Amino acid sequence: MKFMCNSPAIGITDGLSIGYQSRLAVAVGDIELGCGTHYLLARNGRGKTTLLRTLAGVIKPIIGGFACDGRCQLLSEDLTFDRELTAKVVFKSLLNKKGYIEAMTLAEQLELDTAKTYGKLSTGNKRKVALLVAEFSTNDGRPDILLLDEPFTGLDSFAREIFQELWGKRQEGVLRLVSCHPDFDSMEMNSSVLISGGEIIHLHAEDAPKRWGDLKSQLN
Amino acid sequence: MQPYRITLATILQRKVWIIAILCVLVLPMILPYLTSYERNPSLIEPARAQAAWICLWVVSLAWILFQAARFGDDSARSGLGAYFLSAGISRISQMFQLWCACLTFLVPLVMVTVAVCLIGAMPSGEGQAQIWIATNLQYAALFLLVVAPLALVAISVGSRFGATVGYLLPLSLGLYGIYGVGYLAMMTSVQGNVVIEWLYVISPHYHLADLTPRLVFKHGTMLTSEFLHLVAYFIGIKLVLSMLSTICFQAKSAT
Repeated sequence: MKFMCNSPAIGITDGLSIGYQSRLAVAVGDIELGCGTHYLLARNGRGKTTLLRTLAGVIKPIIGGFACDGRCQLLSEDLTFDRELTAKVVFKSLLNKKGYIEAMTLAEQLELDTAKTYGKLSTGNKRKVALLVAEFSTNDGRPDILLLDEPFTGLDSFAREIFQELWGKRQEGVLRLVSCHPDFDSMEMNSSVLISGGEIIHLHAEDAPKRWGDLKSQLN
Repeated sequence: MQPYRITLATILQRKVWIIAILCVLVLPMILPYLTSYERNPSLIEPARAQAAWICLWVVSLAWILFQAARFGDDSARSGLGAYFLSAGISRISQMFQLWCACLTFLVPLVMVTVAVCLIGAMPSGEGQAQIWIATNLQYAALFLLVVAPLALVAISVGSRFGATVGYLLPLSLGLYGIYGVGYLAMMTSVQGNVVIEWLYVISPHYHLADLTPRLVFKHGTMLTSEFLHLVAYFIGIKLVLSMLSTICFQAKSAT
Protein backbone atom coordinates (compact mmCIF):
# COMPACT_ATOMS: atom_id res chain seq x y z
CA MET A 1 0.00 0.00 0.00
CA LYS A 2 1.51 3.36 -1.03
CA PHE A 3 0.05 6.80 -0.62
CA MET A 4 0.61 9.34 -3.36
CA CYS A 5 -0.23 12.57 -1.55
CA ASN A 6 1.96 14.91 0.52
CA SER A 7 0.00 14.50 3.73
CA PRO A 8 1.14 11.82 6.16
CA ALA A 9 -0.64 8.50 6.18
CA ILE A 10 -0.40 5.04 7.66
CA GLY A 11 -1.83 2.09 5.81
CA ILE A 12 -2.14 -1.27 7.48
CA THR A 13 -3.18 -4.13 5.26
CA ASP A 14 -5.63 -6.79 6.29
CA GLY A 15 -3.79 -9.68 7.93
CA LEU A 16 -0.81 -7.75 9.33
CA SER A 17 0.43 -9.83 12.26
CA ILE A 18 2.53 -8.25 14.98
CA GLY A 19 4.52 -9.79 17.80
CA TYR A 20 7.98 -10.98 18.73
CA GLN A 21 8.24 -14.76 18.67
CA SER A 22 4.51 -15.42 18.76
CA ARG A 23 1.62 -13.46 17.27
CA LEU A 24 0.13 -10.80 19.53
CA ALA A 25 -2.51 -9.35 17.23
CA VAL A 26 -3.64 -9.34 13.62
CA ALA A 27 -5.24 -6.53 11.61
CA VAL A 28 -8.82 -7.20 10.55
CA GLY A 29 -9.59 -5.27 7.38
CA ASP A 30 -7.49 -2.56 5.79
CA ILE A 31 -6.79 0.38 8.06
CA GLU A 32 -5.99 3.81 6.71
CA LEU A 33 -5.04 6.70 8.96
CA GLY A 34 -4.55 10.27 7.76
CA CYS A 35 -3.70 13.65 9.28
CA GLY A 36 -4.81 14.31 12.82
CA THR A 37 -4.81 12.43 16.09
CA HIS A 38 -5.73 8.75 16.35
CA TYR A 39 -5.82 6.92 19.66
CA LEU A 40 -4.48 3.42 20.06
CA LEU A 41 -6.40 1.64 22.78
CA ALA A 42 -5.93 -1.76 24.32
CA ARG A 43 -5.53 -3.41 27.68
CA ASN A 44 -2.06 -4.13 29.04
CA GLY A 45 0.07 -6.59 27.10
CA ARG A 46 -2.19 -6.66 24.04
CA GLY A 47 0.39 -5.20 21.65
CA LYS A 48 0.11 -1.41 21.63
CA THR A 49 3.85 -0.85 21.95
CA THR A 50 4.56 -3.71 19.56
CA LEU A 51 2.29 -2.16 16.93
CA LEU A 52 3.95 1.24 17.31
CA ARG A 53 7.44 -0.30 17.12
CA THR A 54 6.39 -2.25 14.04
CA LEU A 55 5.03 0.83 12.29
CA ALA A 56 8.21 2.73 13.19
CA GLY A 57 10.30 0.03 11.51
CA VAL A 58 12.09 -0.84 14.74
CA ILE A 59 10.83 -4.44 14.62
CA LYS A 60 9.55 -6.49 11.71
CA PRO A 61 5.99 -7.72 11.46
CA ILE A 62 5.50 -11.48 11.66
CA ILE A 63 3.56 -11.40 8.41
CA GLY A 64 1.73 -8.84 6.32
CA GLY A 65 2.45 -5.34 5.18
CA PHE A 66 1.99 -1.72 6.09
CA ALA A 67 3.04 1.63 4.67
CA CYS A 68 3.99 4.81 6.46
CA ASP A 69 4.02 7.85 4.24
CA GLY A 70 5.96 10.46 6.17
CA ARG A 71 8.88 10.79 8.53
CA CYS A 72 8.21 8.62 11.57
CA GLN A 73 9.21 9.36 15.12
CA LEU A 74 8.65 6.72 17.76
CA LEU A 75 8.42 8.19 21.22
CA SER A 76 8.64 5.07 23.34
CA GLU A 77 7.53 5.07 26.92
CA ASP A 78 11.07 4.37 28.15
CA LEU A 79 12.77 7.13 26.13
CA THR A 80 15.20 8.98 28.38
CA PHE A 81 18.05 11.41 27.96
CA ASP A 82 21.35 11.64 29.77
CA ARG A 83 20.77 12.69 33.37
CA GLU A 84 23.42 15.42 33.15
CA LEU A 85 21.73 17.20 30.25
CA THR A 86 19.32 20.05 30.78
CA ALA A 87 16.11 20.21 28.76
CA LYS A 88 17.48 23.31 27.08
CA VAL A 89 20.56 21.44 25.85
CA VAL A 90 18.39 18.53 24.66
CA PHE A 91 16.24 20.93 22.63
CA LYS A 92 19.31 22.67 21.23
CA SER A 93 20.87 19.38 20.20
CA LEU A 94 17.83 17.79 18.62
CA LEU A 95 15.75 20.63 17.22
CA ASN A 96 16.30 23.22 14.56
CA LYS A 97 16.26 26.90 15.50
CA LYS A 98 12.55 27.39 14.93
CA GLY A 99 11.66 24.21 16.80
CA TYR A 100 13.95 25.19 19.66
CA ILE A 101 12.23 28.56 20.11
CA GLU A 102 8.78 26.97 19.98
CA ALA A 103 9.78 24.23 22.40
CA MET A 104 11.21 26.74 24.88
CA THR A 105 8.04 28.84 24.67
CA LEU A 106 5.79 25.87 25.33
CA ALA A 107 8.13 24.60 28.06
CA GLU A 108 7.57 27.85 29.90
CA GLN A 109 3.82 27.45 29.55
CA LEU A 110 4.12 23.88 30.84
CA GLU A 111 6.19 25.07 33.83
CA LEU A 112 9.11 22.92 32.77
CA ASP A 113 12.39 24.13 34.23
CA THR A 114 14.66 23.90 31.19
CA ALA A 115 17.76 24.78 33.21
CA LYS A 116 17.39 21.78 35.52
CA THR A 117 19.31 18.62 34.65
CA TYR A 118 17.22 15.79 33.26
CA GLY A 119 18.11 13.49 36.15
CA LYS A 120 16.59 15.92 38.62
CA LEU A 121 13.27 16.32 36.78
CA SER A 122 10.12 14.56 37.96
CA THR A 123 8.64 11.74 35.86
CA GLY A 124 6.05 14.05 34.35
CA ASN A 125 8.58 16.72 33.49
CA LYS A 126 10.87 14.13 31.88
CA ARG A 127 7.94 13.10 29.74
CA LYS A 128 7.35 16.71 28.74
CA VAL A 129 10.94 16.96 27.44
CA ALA A 130 10.48 13.92 25.19
CA LEU A 131 7.07 15.11 23.98
CA LEU A 132 8.39 18.57 23.14
CA VAL A 133 11.28 17.05 21.19
CA ALA A 134 8.92 14.90 19.15
CA GLU A 135 6.37 17.65 18.64
CA PHE A 136 8.82 20.27 17.45
CA SER A 137 10.91 17.94 15.32
CA THR A 138 8.09 18.08 12.83
CA ASN A 139 8.78 20.27 9.82
CA ASP A 140 6.50 22.50 7.81
CA GLY A 141 5.90 21.06 4.36
CA ARG A 142 7.06 17.57 5.29
CA PRO A 143 4.60 14.82 6.24
CA ASP A 144 5.32 13.72 9.80
CA ILE A 145 4.11 10.70 11.71
CA LEU A 146 4.36 10.75 15.49
CA LEU A 147 3.99 7.38 17.18
CA LEU A 148 3.50 8.24 20.82
CA ASP A 149 3.60 5.42 23.32
CA GLU A 150 1.69 6.38 26.46
CA PRO A 151 2.73 10.04 26.27
CA PHE A 152 0.46 11.03 29.16
CA THR A 153 2.14 8.80 31.73
CA GLY A 154 3.08 10.99 34.65
CA LEU A 155 1.59 14.15 33.12
CA ASP A 156 -0.90 16.15 35.15
CA SER A 157 -4.20 17.13 33.57
CA PHE A 158 -2.98 20.72 33.14
CA ALA A 159 -0.07 19.61 30.92
CA ARG A 160 -2.16 17.03 29.13
CA GLU A 161 -4.75 19.60 28.15
CA ILE A 162 -2.03 21.88 26.79
CA PHE A 163 -0.69 19.09 24.61
CA GLN A 164 -4.14 18.09 23.39
CA GLU A 165 -4.87 21.70 22.55
CA LEU A 166 -1.57 21.90 20.67
CA TRP A 167 -2.38 18.75 18.72
CA GLY A 168 -5.70 20.29 17.76
CA LYS A 169 -3.92 23.35 16.40
CA ARG A 170 -1.11 21.48 14.65
CA GLN A 171 -2.96 18.90 12.60
CA GLU A 172 -1.80 20.00 9.16
CA GLY A 173 0.82 17.60 7.84
CA VAL A 174 1.07 15.63 11.07
CA LEU A 175 -0.38 12.24 11.93
CA ARG A 176 -0.33 11.24 15.59
CA LEU A 177 -1.01 7.71 16.72
CA VAL A 178 -1.25 7.90 20.48
CA SER A 179 -1.42 4.90 22.76
CA CYS A 180 -2.91 5.71 26.13
CA HIS A 181 -5.04 4.64 29.04
CA PRO A 182 -7.47 7.54 29.49
CA ASP A 183 -8.58 8.22 33.03
CA PHE A 184 -11.80 10.06 32.41
CA ASP A 185 -14.81 8.75 30.51
CA SER A 186 -15.64 11.96 28.67
CA MET A 187 -12.32 12.06 26.75
CA GLU A 188 -13.15 12.44 23.06
CA MET A 189 -11.62 10.17 20.46
CA ASN A 190 -12.82 10.77 16.92
CA SER A 191 -10.62 8.06 15.48
CA SER A 192 -9.41 5.09 17.47
CA VAL A 193 -7.50 1.94 16.71
CA LEU A 194 -8.43 -0.87 19.07
CA ILE A 195 -6.52 -4.03 19.85
CA SER A 196 -8.97 -6.40 21.39
CA GLY A 197 -9.22 -10.18 21.39
CA GLY A 198 -6.05 -10.38 19.29
CA GLU A 199 -7.55 -8.22 16.53
CA ILE A 200 -6.54 -4.75 15.38
CA ILE A 201 -9.53 -2.73 14.24
CA HIS A 202 -10.14 0.89 13.35
CA LEU A 203 -13.23 2.69 14.64
CA HIS A 204 -13.88 5.86 12.73
CA ALA A 205 -17.35 5.60 11.25
CA GLU A 206 -20.03 8.13 12.15
CA ASP A 207 -21.84 5.67 14.38
CA ALA A 208 -18.67 4.41 16.10
CA PRO A 209 -18.23 5.32 19.77
CA LYS A 210 -16.36 8.59 20.22
CA ARG A 211 -15.80 8.72 23.95
CA TRP A 212 -13.51 6.66 26.13
CA GLY A 213 -16.42 5.74 28.39
CA ASP A 214 -18.13 3.97 25.47
CA LEU A 215 -14.94 2.56 23.96
CA LYS A 216 -13.48 0.89 27.02
CA SER A 217 -16.28 -1.68 27.20
CA GLN A 218 -15.13 -2.99 23.81
CA LEU A 219 -11.63 -3.81 25.03
CA ASN A 220 -10.80 -7.36 25.91
CA MET B 1 23.48 14.68 12.79
CA GLN B 2 21.21 14.49 15.87
CA PRO B 3 23.03 11.55 17.53
CA TYR B 4 26.36 13.35 17.03
CA ARG B 5 25.08 16.61 18.46
CA ILE B 6 23.46 15.15 21.54
CA THR B 7 26.49 12.95 22.25
CA LEU B 8 28.79 15.92 21.91
CA ALA B 9 26.53 17.95 24.20
CA THR B 10 26.59 15.13 26.75
CA ILE B 11 30.39 14.99 26.81
CA LEU B 12 30.57 18.76 27.18
CA GLN B 13 27.97 18.74 29.93
CA ARG B 14 29.73 16.02 31.95
CA LYS B 15 32.81 18.28 32.11
CA VAL B 16 35.28 15.41 32.60
CA TRP B 17 36.90 16.60 29.38
CA ILE B 18 38.35 19.50 31.37
CA ILE B 19 40.23 17.03 33.58
CA ALA B 20 41.34 15.09 30.49
CA ILE B 21 42.69 18.24 28.85
CA LEU B 22 44.41 19.30 32.07
CA CYS B 23 45.99 15.85 32.39
CA VAL B 24 47.61 15.97 28.96
CA LEU B 25 48.49 19.65 29.29
CA VAL B 26 49.65 20.12 32.88
CA LEU B 27 50.98 16.73 34.01
CA PRO B 28 53.78 16.63 31.39
CA MET B 29 54.95 19.98 32.76
CA ILE B 30 54.93 18.85 36.39
CA LEU B 31 55.93 15.18 36.32
CA PRO B 32 59.52 15.62 35.02
CA TYR B 33 60.25 17.88 38.01
CA LEU B 34 59.30 15.10 40.40
CA THR B 35 62.35 13.13 39.23
CA SER B 36 65.99 13.72 40.24
CA TYR B 37 66.40 15.94 37.21
CA GLU B 38 69.08 18.09 38.91
CA ARG B 39 71.68 15.45 38.04
CA ASN B 40 71.15 16.07 34.36
CA PRO B 41 68.81 18.99 33.52
CA SER B 42 69.07 18.24 29.80
CA LEU B 43 66.85 15.19 30.37
CA ILE B 44 63.92 17.37 31.35
CA GLU B 45 62.74 17.86 27.78
CA PRO B 46 62.77 14.19 26.69
CA ALA B 47 61.11 13.34 30.01
CA ARG B 48 58.42 15.90 29.23
CA ALA B 49 57.76 14.33 25.85
CA GLN B 50 57.62 10.90 27.46
CA ALA B 51 55.19 12.12 30.13
CA ALA B 52 53.02 13.84 27.51
CA TRP B 53 52.55 10.72 25.41
CA ILE B 54 52.09 8.41 28.40
CA CYS B 55 49.42 10.77 29.78
CA LEU B 56 47.69 10.70 26.41
CA TRP B 57 47.69 6.89 26.30
CA VAL B 58 46.31 6.70 29.84
CA VAL B 59 43.64 9.35 29.29
CA SER B 60 42.56 7.83 25.99
CA LEU B 61 42.39 4.26 27.22
CA ALA B 62 40.76 5.24 30.50
CA TRP B 63 38.42 8.05 29.52
CA ILE B 64 37.72 7.96 25.77
CA LEU B 65 37.05 4.21 25.74
CA PHE B 66 34.86 4.45 28.84
CA GLN B 67 32.85 7.30 27.36
CA ALA B 68 32.48 5.40 24.10
CA ALA B 69 31.23 2.27 25.88
CA ARG B 70 28.74 4.31 27.90
CA PHE B 71 27.38 6.03 24.82
CA GLY B 72 26.87 2.69 23.11
CA ASP B 73 25.10 1.33 26.17
CA ASP B 74 22.99 4.44 26.76
CA SER B 75 21.96 4.65 23.11
CA ALA B 76 20.50 1.15 23.13
CA ARG B 77 18.96 1.26 26.61
CA SER B 78 17.59 4.79 26.74
CA GLY B 79 15.31 4.34 23.75
CA LEU B 80 17.16 7.10 21.87
CA GLY B 81 18.61 4.56 19.43
CA ALA B 82 15.12 3.28 18.62
CA TYR B 83 13.89 6.87 18.33
CA PHE B 84 16.60 7.77 15.82
CA LEU B 85 16.03 4.49 14.00
CA SER B 86 12.35 5.32 13.61
CA ALA B 87 13.31 8.77 12.32
CA GLY B 88 15.30 7.17 9.53
CA ILE B 89 18.82 7.30 10.99
CA SER B 90 20.22 3.84 10.36
CA ARG B 91 22.04 1.97 13.12
CA ILE B 92 25.32 2.19 11.21
CA SER B 93 24.93 5.95 10.85
CA GLN B 94 24.14 6.19 14.56
CA MET B 95 27.25 4.17 15.46
CA PHE B 96 29.51 6.36 13.34
CA GLN B 97 27.94 9.53 14.71
CA LEU B 98 28.64 8.39 18.29
CA TRP B 99 32.17 7.53 17.18
CA CYS B 100 32.68 10.95 15.56
CA ALA B 101 31.58 12.62 18.79
CA CYS B 102 34.24 10.64 20.70
CA LEU B 103 36.85 11.52 18.07
CA THR B 104 35.92 15.19 18.41
CA PHE B 105 37.47 14.99 21.86
CA LEU B 106 40.24 12.53 21.06
CA VAL B 107 41.76 14.56 18.23
CA PRO B 108 42.21 17.75 20.30
CA LEU B 109 43.83 15.68 23.05
CA VAL B 110 46.37 14.39 20.51
CA MET B 111 46.89 17.93 19.21
CA VAL B 112 47.52 19.21 22.74
CA THR B 113 50.06 16.43 23.31
CA VAL B 114 51.88 17.23 20.08
CA ALA B 115 51.81 20.91 21.02
CA VAL B 116 53.30 20.13 24.45
CA CYS B 117 56.09 18.17 22.76
CA LEU B 118 56.73 20.87 20.18
CA ILE B 119 56.60 23.81 22.57
CA GLY B 120 57.89 22.26 25.77
CA ALA B 121 60.43 19.73 24.51
CA MET B 122 61.69 20.91 21.13
CA PRO B 123 65.42 20.24 20.54
CA SER B 124 67.50 23.34 19.89
CA GLY B 125 69.20 22.53 16.56
CA GLU B 126 67.23 23.28 13.40
CA GLY B 127 67.81 19.84 11.89
CA GLN B 128 66.87 18.08 15.10
CA ALA B 129 63.80 20.26 15.45
CA GLN B 130 62.51 19.16 12.05
CA ILE B 131 63.08 15.52 12.91
CA TRP B 132 61.34 16.09 16.22
CA ILE B 133 58.28 17.60 14.51
CA ALA B 134 58.11 14.78 11.96
CA THR B 135 58.44 12.07 14.61
CA ASN B 136 55.67 13.61 16.70
CA LEU B 137 53.38 13.82 13.69
CA GLN B 138 54.10 10.19 12.81
CA TYR B 139 53.37 9.22 16.40
CA ALA B 140 50.10 11.18 16.37
CA ALA B 141 48.94 9.45 13.19
CA LEU B 142 49.76 5.97 14.50
CA PHE B 143 48.20 6.74 17.86
CA LEU B 144 44.92 7.77 16.24
CA LEU B 145 44.95 4.67 14.05
CA VAL B 146 45.17 2.54 17.20
CA VAL B 147 42.80 4.30 19.60
CA ALA B 148 40.05 5.41 17.19
CA PRO B 149 39.06 1.85 16.14
CA LEU B 150 39.16 0.75 19.78
CA ALA B 151 36.62 3.49 20.55
CA LEU B 152 34.39 2.11 17.81
CA VAL B 153 34.65 -1.35 19.37
CA ALA B 154 33.76 0.15 22.76
CA ILE B 155 30.61 1.75 21.31
CA SER B 156 29.39 -1.35 19.53
CA VAL B 157 30.19 -3.84 22.30
CA GLY B 158 28.72 -1.42 24.85
CA SER B 159 25.48 -1.23 22.90
CA ARG B 160 25.08 -5.00 22.94
CA PHE B 161 26.63 -6.16 26.20
CA GLY B 162 26.55 -3.06 28.40
CA ALA B 163 29.07 -0.40 29.35
CA THR B 164 31.28 -2.61 31.55
CA VAL B 165 31.99 -5.22 28.88
CA GLY B 166 32.09 -2.48 26.27
CA TYR B 167 34.86 -0.79 28.18
CA LEU B 168 36.88 -3.78 29.36
CA LEU B 169 37.04 -5.56 26.00
CA PRO B 170 38.75 -2.81 23.94
CA LEU B 171 40.84 -1.83 26.96
CA SER B 172 42.11 -5.41 27.28
CA LEU B 173 42.70 -5.57 23.54
CA GLY B 174 44.64 -2.32 23.67
CA LEU B 175 46.78 -3.34 26.67
CA TYR B 176 47.39 -6.74 25.13
CA GLY B 177 48.51 -5.15 21.88
CA ILE B 178 50.80 -2.72 23.67
CA TYR B 179 52.29 -4.97 26.38
CA GLY B 180 51.00 -8.55 26.06
CA VAL B 181 52.31 -9.15 22.56
CA GLY B 182 55.85 -8.47 23.83
CA TYR B 183 55.57 -11.34 26.32
CA LEU B 184 54.17 -13.52 23.57
CA ALA B 185 57.23 -12.70 21.45
CA MET B 186 59.48 -13.84 24.30
CA MET B 187 57.50 -17.07 24.62
CA THR B 188 57.75 -17.85 20.92
CA SER B 189 61.51 -17.37 20.99
CA VAL B 190 61.85 -19.71 23.99
CA GLN B 191 59.24 -22.41 23.28
CA GLY B 192 58.76 -22.44 19.51
CA ASN B 193 55.12 -23.50 19.93
CA VAL B 194 53.16 -23.28 16.65
CA VAL B 195 49.94 -22.15 18.37
CA ILE B 196 51.73 -19.35 20.18
CA GLU B 197 53.47 -18.37 16.97
CA TRP B 198 50.13 -18.11 15.18
CA LEU B 199 48.66 -16.20 18.08
CA TYR B 200 51.58 -13.81 17.83
CA VAL B 201 51.02 -13.32 14.11
CA ILE B 202 47.31 -12.57 14.37
CA SER B 203 47.64 -10.37 17.47
CA PRO B 204 47.25 -6.62 17.05
CA HIS B 205 50.77 -5.23 17.39
CA TYR B 206 49.83 -1.93 18.93
CA HIS B 207 53.28 -1.64 20.52
CA LEU B 208 54.52 -0.68 17.06
CA ALA B 209 52.52 2.54 17.33
CA ASP B 210 54.28 3.48 20.55
CA LEU B 211 57.06 5.78 19.39
CA THR B 212 57.84 7.07 22.90
CA PRO B 213 61.31 5.42 23.05
CA ARG B 214 62.07 6.87 19.62
CA LEU B 215 61.28 10.34 20.95
CA VAL B 216 62.99 9.94 24.31
CA PHE B 217 66.22 8.49 22.91
CA LYS B 218 66.06 10.68 19.80
CA HIS B 219 66.25 7.86 17.29
CA GLY B 220 64.83 10.11 14.62
CA THR B 221 61.85 9.66 12.35
CA MET B 222 60.71 6.36 10.95
CA LEU B 223 61.62 5.77 7.33
CA THR B 224 58.72 6.72 5.09
CA SER B 225 58.38 3.17 3.77
CA GLU B 226 58.41 1.75 7.30
CA PHE B 227 55.84 4.31 8.42
CA LEU B 228 53.55 3.61 5.46
CA HIS B 229 53.77 -0.12 6.13
CA LEU B 230 52.65 0.51 9.69
CA VAL B 231 49.85 2.81 8.54
CA ALA B 232 48.62 0.11 6.14
CA TYR B 233 48.86 -2.50 8.90
CA PHE B 234 46.81 -0.41 11.34
CA ILE B 235 44.28 0.51 8.65
CA GLY B 236 43.90 -3.24 8.06
CA ILE B 237 43.19 -3.78 11.76
CA LYS B 238 40.83 -0.83 11.71
CA LEU B 239 38.87 -2.34 8.82
CA VAL B 240 38.55 -5.67 10.63
CA LEU B 241 37.45 -3.98 13.87
CA SER B 242 35.05 -1.69 12.01
CA MET B 243 33.46 -4.66 10.30
CA LEU B 244 33.05 -6.53 13.59
CA SER B 245 31.72 -3.39 15.26
CA THR B 246 29.18 -2.89 12.49
CA ILE B 247 27.89 -6.41 13.01
CA CYS B 248 27.83 -6.08 16.80
CA PHE B 249 26.26 -2.63 17.20
CA GLN B 250 22.59 -2.49 18.07
CA ALA B 251 20.60 0.71 18.20
CA LYS B 252 17.80 -0.71 20.31
CA SER B 253 17.63 -3.05 23.25
CA ALA B 254 16.65 -6.64 22.56
CA THR B 255 13.11 -6.36 23.98
